[in-house]
Amino acid sequence: MPLVKVPKPKFMTKLRRFFMADLLQGLRLTLKYNIGAIFDKDSVAGKGIYTEQYPKVRPDVAPRFHGAPRLNMDPETHDTLCIACNLCAIACPEDCIDVLAMDVEIIVAGKPRKKKVLDEFIFDTSRCMFCALCQEACPTSCLELTQDFELATYSRAGFVWNREMLEQGRETVKYTR
Amino acid sequence: MLVFFAPIDFINQLLLKFFSAGTINHVIWPFIQIGLVVTIVAGWVAYATYLERKISAFMQARLGPMRVGPWGLLQPIADGIKLLTKEDFIPEKADRWIFFFAPYIAVAAAFITFSVIPFGPDWAVITDVNIGLLFVLAVSSVGVLALILAGWSSNSKYSLLGALRSSAQMISYEVAMGLSLVGALMFARTLSLSGAVNAQQLDSVWFFVYQPLGFLIFLVSGIAENNRAPFDLPEAESELVAGFHTEYSGFRWSLFFMAEYAAMVIVSAVAVTVYLGGWYFPFVYRLTEAKGYHNLYVIVSLLVFISKLLAILYLYFWLRWTLPRFRYDQLMDIGWKWLIPSALINIVISALAIFVIQALNGWHGIKTIDSLSAGLNLTATGKALMIVMGLAGLGLTGLSLARINWRSRDFNLKSQRRNIRLVNVPKGKPAVAPIAPAASES
Repeated sequence: MPLVKVPKPKFMTKLRRFFMADLLQGLRLTLKYNIGAIFDKDSVAGKGIYTEQYPKVRPDVAPRFHGAPRLNMDPETHDTLCIACNLCAIACPEDCIDVLAMDVEIIVAGKPRKKKVLDEFIFDTSRCMFCALCQEACPTSCLELTQDFELATYSRAGFVWNREMLEQGRETVKYTR
Repeated sequence: MLVFFAPIDFINQLLLKFFSAGTINHVIWPFIQIGLVVTIVAGWVAYATYLERKISAFMQARLGPMRVGPWGLLQPIADGIKLLTKEDFIPEKADRWIFFFAPYIAVAAAFITFSVIPFGPDWAVITDVNIGLLFVLAVSSVGVLALILAGWSSNSKYSLLGALRSSAQMISYEVAMGLSLVGALMFARTLSLSGAVNAQQLDSVWFFVYQPLGFLIFLVSGIAENNRAPFDLPEAESELVAGFHTEYSGFRWSLFFMAEYAAMVIVSAVAVTVYLGGWYFPFVYRLTEAKGYHNLYVIVSLLVFISKLLAILYLYFWLRWTLPRFRYDQLMDIGWKWLIPSALINIVISALAIFVIQALNGWHGIKTIDSLSAGLNLTATGKALMIVMGLAGLGLTGLSLARINWRSRDFNLKSQRRNIRLVNVPKGKPAVAPIAPAASES
């Protein structure tokens, strides 16, 4: 009753075994990687070294990557572009956006009118799944998910971004040498 | 060059005012040489870790140490400071004195050996002992004692198991290593390491051409004797935490590390000296010494030696990051069933080859041997014959090993193909009854 069935080796197999061809093949591969790393070019992988020196060199994220939210402002007047229409909050599947608006009396063509103005914008990044449906819903391209990915904070409360953080961007620790 | 060596002559003149010429030549200059070698080797150990980390990183498409200094060049210094300032921890149940002294034995055994290694001609060798090779083998096996003591005194099962493994491994590979050198010694006709280099220089042939098998055996058993991958069973971190130095920390651990890397250098230095011609390189003598630049000759020879050494050391790193670790029984199999028999066969074949060469000398006007003054100097015919016989010996050894180990199952295809028969099982009946299909439940 044979339990181990090893096929009878051909002459070439024996020859390869005798001259340790597989060992040499392995050595060739590691040498190729080593030389490729020195010249940063590798015929196998295309790139010699894959390591990114992260805090020093920022990695390139994919173009469709969604990261930290931002409220865009008018570049000239520095007024917010948000018209407090609440469409983003409605579009959000996670309900992580709260738009708080207030009514402001303005006079249009001699008559007093009420206008909705953005008061506070709460964005809970801990619940956000970065689907960017809010970005698509925004009629004035005010809310935008940027490519910034450093969202970690020390407390759970730190994940809730208010209007100021959304407009100015959050302060992160910059690692320098 | 003259400017470079003027201080040396000046110091010599200064010393002559206080000591006799004999004292200077036999006491003071050796001390300076020893100091230089110890400093350089200690520096090498520090930077070998850097080199190994870099090479391993490059082989895996990584960068390696980059943060300390430009390209991480100050990393070894940072590591050294860390190791020196770490707590020197001794386990409560450890045998304190032996635990104290084991690392020192390891380092001493590794460093003493450097005294006989010829780094270059003339003043680049500390001492030329006429039993140099024997001395290297003897002293480097004292290193095993340190491992056993370290493992035993730690009073920890991992340390003890690691020590047992490494001592068993080092002792069994020491045999193959010593035997593999015998073939080369037949050509060198001396045990002195400088003598081996001189023989190769006179022959203008590196001995690995005559002794391909011996060189291979020496390399493999050298790597195994240094407990380096793929033979790093004693430090197999997945099985034994860190082998014999599990309980060591800080400076004492770094001493073991130093000993390991120094031992690597010694084995590669012996391989270079005996098989790769040591500091001898074609044309160097003719371009420097023959034109009167003696010190330049020594320095160029030193550089040649160092570059050969680095090539062998690169092989260490290269093999480490290519091959996976052997199983323990495979390790012992390679040592006892393959390397030691092949080393013995190598001795026999080399002896036969030399006998044939000597018998052919003067037969029908064939001249094979040039002279026997320093080593076995062969003429061109003799060299060609020797190379052919060396290569034939490789094949002959392979065949005889296959014959010797025809029962060994680990590396032998033929024996793997043999059917495994179960005892007390009738023929033609399956050993395990086939599982009946489960009755359908209704």
